[in-house]
Amino acid sequence: MTSLTSFLLLLFTAVAQAISSSGSRLLVVLEDVAEKAQYSKFLGDLEGRGFEVTYETPKSDSLSLFHLGERSYDHILFFPTKAKGLGPNLTANLLLQFINAQGNILLALSGQKQAPTSVVAALSELDIHLPSERTGLVVDHFNYDVTSADEKHDVLLLPTPGALRPGVKDFFSPATPNGEVLALPQTIGQVLGNGALLTPILRAPATAYSYNPKEESEVLGDELFAAGKQLSLVTTVQARNSARLTIVGSADMLTDQWFDAKVKKVDGKASVATVNREFAKRVSGWTFNEIGVLKVNWIEHHLNEEGQGNQSNPKIYRIKNDVTYSISLSEYEWDHWAAFQVPAEDDLQLEFSMLSPFHRLSLKPTVNSEESTTYSTNFKLPDQHGIFNFKINHKRPFFNNIEEKNTVSVRHFAHDEWPRSYAISGAWPWISGIGATVTGWLFFVAIWLYSKPTGKGESKKTR
Amino acid sequence: MAPKKSQASPAAAPVVTTATTATTVPTVSGPGKKTSSSSSSSATTSSEAWSNVVTNILKHYQKTTPQRTKLIDLFMAFLVVVGGLQFVYCVVAGNYPFNAFLSGFSATVGQFVLTASLRIQTTEANKADFPSVSPERAFADYVVGSLILHFFCVNFIN
Repeated sequence: MTSLTSFLLLLFTAVAQAISSSGSRLLVVLEDVAEKAQYSKFLGDLEGRGFEVTYETPKSDSLSLFHLGERSYDHILFFPTKAKGLGPNLTANLLLQFINAQGNILLALSGQKQAPTSVVAALSELDIHLPSERTGLVVDHFNYDVTSADEKHDVLLLPTPGALRPGVKDFFSPATPNGEVLALPQTIGQVLGNGALLTPILRAPATAYSYNPKEESEVLGDELFAAGKQLSLVTTVQARNSARLTIVGSADMLTDQWFDAKVKKVDGKASVATVNREFAKRVSGWTFNEIGVLKVNWIEHHLNEEGQGNQSNPKIYRIKNDVTYSISLSEYEWDHWAAFQVPAEDDLQLEFSMLSPFHRLSLKPTVNSEESTTYSTNFKLPDQHGIFNFKINHKRPFFNNIEEKNTVSVRHFAHDEWPRSYAISGAWPWISGIGATVTGWLFFVAIWLYSKPTGKGESKKTR
Repeated sequence: MAPKKSQASPAAAPVVTTATTATTVPTVSGPGKKTSSSSSSSATTSSEAWSNVVTNILKHYQKTTPQRTKLIDLFMAFLVVVGGLQFVYCVVAGNYPFNAFLSGFSATVGQFVLTASLRIQTTEANKADFPSVSPERAFADYVVGSLILHFFCVNFIN
């Protein structure tokens, strides 16, 4: 019986792991449920990856993000809506609560439809700013699609983003063997604040700018919202609790039409295909915790000295002990846990700290297996007793935060742990000094007793 | 208690004899000094005068000092040499096992202080200052104190 239940449990966990690492309940918010036909390939991909998709309109009464204080869904996907607000079930406050409860949100906006007020309010809480009046269209007179936007120049053709900077893993660049590009039609650009939690995936090219299509003035002046690299077209936020929010500036790039479209660059000879589908898969996969998720399997530290006990994770060490610290990490890749490899030019660092770090050491991979990598280091504890922490504080763009703290006491030498003086050659002169004093004293006492002065003559004799 | 007293009474007898020699010695050294000064005036070299002074002091010391006091002086000189060597080693080679330096050096210094105390207590001229301390008692105190000192120093050097 127990074996059967454990087998069922195993089966259940296996099924649960076949999708996202943090749950499979996905809520899709659309203006009209019938609209989902436009996004059938994108939504079909999501369902094919194992998400249980629920479709709702903002006005629906049954829509509720929380039930009895718990999240009703693990992830939310917003498509653009016509309504100015999203109603009482999707207020900015509720969206932020959802993020605080570790829910993930993928937000698809469009340059043609106004962004809902609650979304704008929630984004401004995260220091992400949309153009005024919640509309704005990004155009680029150098990187547009000749076939579909010859006049308006509002379909941007961009290469895949590549790594954000050296040392950051590139999750979002599909292979482009034939020069495929990303097509972003009717995009709304975002301007990011200085927050460390904000990371752009895709920035606009230097020649792009954002303007308000409702103002029909020929000359662009003060009303220009932002231009060039200031504009982020696809933005991510990873909260400190590792909840993820992604803003895709162009909802149209997720439609079936643009998944299959053939586009032609300004200077291009032939039409090329778009890689929107693969890019959308990666962006949604990252947002819904299918990639870039790290897990600590175990942490172990022990004394690394000959002739000493080899107990795991002792509560107490002595100053100047040699200690080995190991941590086993796995990275989730779509449907399974794989070994986590630190990107080149990046480090996994261990801090040994009491208030401030006494050591900050790079961990080196020691054991590689299919599902995990063990990183370890050996070091000598500092000459300072007190309460210390083994601390891993690994916060990198596109990876969830790892903060692990193991507290140990570090005591000073016990009185019988000091080396004997004769073991230290430097002490030998002083040992012999004591020896000379003591033997000299013994001779002195012996002669003193022998030479007891009974009279003048005897004292002369001993002299 | 009785044997102790009986020991103390014979000890008093040599003290008297040494005291008599001490009183007689200045009369001997007085003429000696006069002769040396006369010789220096004839030679008119100050170095010779100084060497005369030194030899006179040595002679005086040889004649007037009891044998046990000389033994004490010899031992104290030995301690000064040993302590000096240890200190020089510390200055030259560093004080790395500092407790070893402290215990080695303080063993000699402490022994020197104890021996100096013994010298003070057994000198005839100070007899009046220590009416209740016989030389035997002083020596017994000295032995006990030295043993305690050695015990501490050997412990401290680990």
